[in-house]
Amino acid sequence: MPYVGTRSTWLLLVPHKPKPTELDGNIELFCIKEGTVRRTYVWTALLLVLALVMAACGGTSGTTETTAAPNTTAAPGTTAASGTTAAPSGEMKTLKIGFTTSITGKYNTESTRQDNGLQLWMDDVNAAGGITLSDGTVLKFEAVSYDDESNKDRVQELYTKLATDDDADFLISPYSSGLTAASAVIAEQYGKVMITTGAASDSVYTQGYTGVYQVYTPSSRYLTSSVDLLGSLDPSAKKIAFVYENSNFSTGVAEAAKAYAESNGYEVVLYEGYDPDTQDFSAFINKIEASGPDAILGGGHFQDGSAFARQLYEKKIPVKFVSLLVAPPEPSFSELGDAAVGVAGPSQWEPLVKFTEDAAMAAGADWIGLTGDEFVAEYQAAYGEEPSYHAAGGYAAGLLLQYAIQKADSTDADAIKAALDATNLMTFFGDLKFDTSPDHHGLQIGHDMVVVQWQKADGGLQKQIVWPESGATAAPLYPLGQ
Amino acid sequence: MKRFTGLLLSVLAVIVLAVIPLISGKASTREAMFTILMAIALASSLNMLLGYTGYVSFGHIVFFGVGGYAGFYTLTVLGWNLWLSMLVGGATAALLAYLLGKSILRLRGAYFALATIGVNEAMRALVNNMDFLGGPIGMTMKFSVYNEYGGAANALWLVYWVLSGIALLVVIVSYLVKRSKFGLGLMAIREDEDAAEVMGVRAPSAKTWSYVLSAVFPGLIGMLFFFKNGNIEPGDAFRLHLSIELIVMVMLGGFGTVLGPVLGAGVYQQLRKLLLTSPVFKNIQLAVAGVLLLLIILFIPTGAVGWLRRRFPRLRRVLE
Repeated sequence: MPYVGTRSTWLLLVPHKPKPTELDGNIELFCIKEGTVRRTYVWTALLLVLALVMAACGGTSGTTETTAAPNTTAAPGTTAASGTTAAPSGEMKTLKIGFTTSITGKYNTESTRQDNGLQLWMDDVNAAGGITLSDGTVLKFEAVSYDDESNKDRVQELYTKLATDDDADFLISPYSSGLTAASAVIAEQYGKVMITTGAASDSVYTQGYTGVYQVYTPSSRYLTSSVDLLGSLDPSAKKIAFVYENSNFSTGVAEAAKAYAESNGYEVVLYEGYDPDTQDFSAFINKIEASGPDAILGGGHFQDGSAFARQLYEKKIPVKFVSLLVAPPEPSFSELGDAAVGVAGPSQWEPLVKFTEDAAMAAGADWIGLTGDEFVAEYQAAYGEEPSYHAAGGYAAGLLLQYAIQKADSTDADAIKAALDATNLMTFFGDLKFDTSPDHHGLQIGHDMVVVQWQKADGGLQKQIVWPESGATAAPLYPLGQ
Repeated sequence: MKRFTGLLLSVLAVIVLAVIPLISGKASTREAMFTILMAIALASSLNMLLGYTGYVSFGHIVFFGVGGYAGFYTLTVLGWNLWLSMLVGGATAALLAYLLGKSILRLRGAYFALATIGVNEAMRALVNNMDFLGGPIGMTMKFSVYNEYGGAANALWLVYWVLSGIALLVVIVSYLVKRSKFGLGLMAIREDEDAAEVMGVRAPSAKTWSYVLSAVFPGLIGMLFFFKNGNIEPGDAFRLHLSIELIVMVMLGGFGTVLGPVLGAGVYQQLRKLLLTSPVFKNIQLAVAGVLLLLIILFIPTGAVGWLRRRFPRLRRVLE
C-alpha cells in the first residue's frame, strides 16, 4: 500500500481502502506491511532468540568440561558389570533409580558432581555383583535421569514421568532445596522412597512426608559448629556479626545460627543479608568495622563468599575468626592466596575425614561401603578431579539405599521405609540417622559437619580440619593476625 | 454461529489437549499437558497486551508471582481454601496491573518494556525482604493440605481440570476482546497511538484495562502452580527467563491472533519436552531449541498463524 499523506491520514484510509486480500476491514498486522511497527517486532524477535541461544550456550558450555568426564568412566563401569560371573541361582532384577540433574543452569557444577558420585556408587555395586537377597534374587541398578534446567518448571513433570512411565523403583532428589521440595510432593504421592542429597534446608522435612530421607546435615546446623569452635577457642570472644546471602539456604542457616549463638550467650552485633549477586561488600564491611565484632559468620555460595573473603582481607578488618558457607570447602578457594588464610567454613565431608569400620563398631553402628581414601582414589581415577562434598553426598545417597535394601531384604517400599527409619549407619561420609517424629520425619540427625580452615603449609595453602577436635588434622589458626 | 467460526479451532485445540490425559489415564500425560496448558493460558494472556495493544511486557511473569504469593499466603497462613486463595491471587495481580498501568503505561515502546523488567526485579527484591512472606526462604505447604481435596493424587487432577478451565476461558476472552470495540481500540493503539486518540480511543484507559485483563489470569494460574508445587520462593515466582519464553511462544504462533499463542505455546513446550527427554538431545536441548527458534523467526516472522493467513486468504475466516 502506498504511503499517503501523514501517518494519521494513512490510518484513516485503512478501513476504506483495504488490501484486496484483507477481510472485514479489521486493522490487521498485514495491512501495515510496509510500516515500521512490524520491523520493530522482527528485531525484537531476533533479539529474543539471540537471548535464548546465549542462555542456552551459557548453560551448556559450562557443562562440557564436567559432562565429558563421566564418558571416560562409562567404560570401567560397564566392563566391570559384564565381568561379573557369580550368577547365583536366583532371578536377576534391575532396579531403576530415577532423578533429575541440572545439566544446564546455575546448579550445574554442584549437581553434576552429585550425579558423578551417584554413578560411581552404581558402577561399584553393579561391579561387585549387585545385592543378593536371602531368596536368591540378585538386584542390580540402572539410572534414569533428565535435565531439570536448575528450575522448578518441569521438576514435577519429570518426577511424575520417572515415577509412572519409567516406573523407577527409587528416587534421588535433584540438587538444591527448592527443586527437592517440588519433587518430594510427587515422590510422596506415588509412595516412592526418595533419598535427598544436596538439599540441606529443614523445611522439606516439616511438611509431613513419610518417604523422604535426608543425607546432608540440615541447614539449621551448618554454622552452629563454628559457634562451638569459637567458644572452645576463646571464651572471651562474645560479639558475632552475621553477614549472609539473601537466599533460601543461607538465610535459613543464618537464622538458626543466630538463635543458637544468642542462646549460648553471644551478642549478635550485626545481622545483615546481601543480594545474591553482590560483588562489592564495602557497605557491609563498613558496618562490620563500626560494630566491632570478634567473629564474622555468614556467606552464601562460592562467588559471593570468595569476594567477601577477599575484601575482608584487603580492608584489614581486625576480627579473630571468620567462618563462611560453601566457598571455603571448595578446592579452588585457595586461589585467593593470602586472603584465604585463616578463613574457616563448614563442610559436609572432607577427604581428610576418617570414618572407619572400627569406629562404627565402637559406636554400635552398622558400616557399609568403602573408606574415604578408596572413594577419593576411585573418584579421581574416574573423573580426574578431587571429589567435593557434593560428590560424596551423591555416593552416600546410593550407599544408604543399598543399606536399606539389604537390611529390609526386600524391595518393597514399606519395608525399606521401616529399615530407613531404624537406620544407625556409618559410612565414609559419616553417621546417618533419621528423625522419625511425625513433625520432622526424614530429617538427618546423625550426620555432623566438620569445620575446615585454610592454613599455610610448605609455602602453599592447605585445607585443614579444625573441628570437631576428635577429627582435627591441625590446630585452628586463632586469632587471625591482621 | 458464523461469528464464532474463528474461535472454533482455538477452543477445540484446548479441549483436545485437556482431555488427552483422560484417554491415556496416565499421570505423566497429565503433567505434560499441565505444562502445555499453563503455557497456553499465560501466552494468550500476554497476547492481549503484546499482540492486541502492541506493548511488549518483558516482565509479565510478575503477575504470576504476585498472584502465587498472595494466594499462597492466604492458603497457608490464613487457612483459606484453594478457591478463595486463587481469587485472591487473581485480584491481587489485577490490582497491581491497574496501579502499574496508571503509571508506567504512559511510557511507550522500549521505555515501557524496560520498566516492566524493572517492576519484576523490584517485586522480587521486595518479597525477598518481607518477613511475613518468608523472605528469601519462601513459604511451604504441609502435605496434609492435599487431604482436604481428596489426597494428593486427587488434588493434582483437580488442579489440572481447573487449569484447563482457565486456559479455555482465556482463549474465549481473548477472542471476545479481539472482536469487540474495545479490542479494535487496542489494535488502533498498536498501529498508531496518536492516531487512535484522534479517532476517539481513550488510549490511557484502554491500555490500562488491557493490562489488567492480561494480568488476572497469570495471577490465578500462579496460585494453582505453587499449590501444586507445595512451596514458593522468590526466585521461582519472578523468573524473568519464563517471561521471555512466553514472548517467544506468542511470536512463534503469531501475535495478535487468538490461535497463535495456543499453537505457539503448545509447539514450543512440546518441542522442549521432546528435546529434554530424548536420549540424543537431552544434553544440548537448549541449543537445539534456540537454533530452531532462530530459523522459524527468521523465515516466518509473523508467526505460524500470521504466515498461514497471508499465504491462504481463504483460511482467514477460521484462523482468527
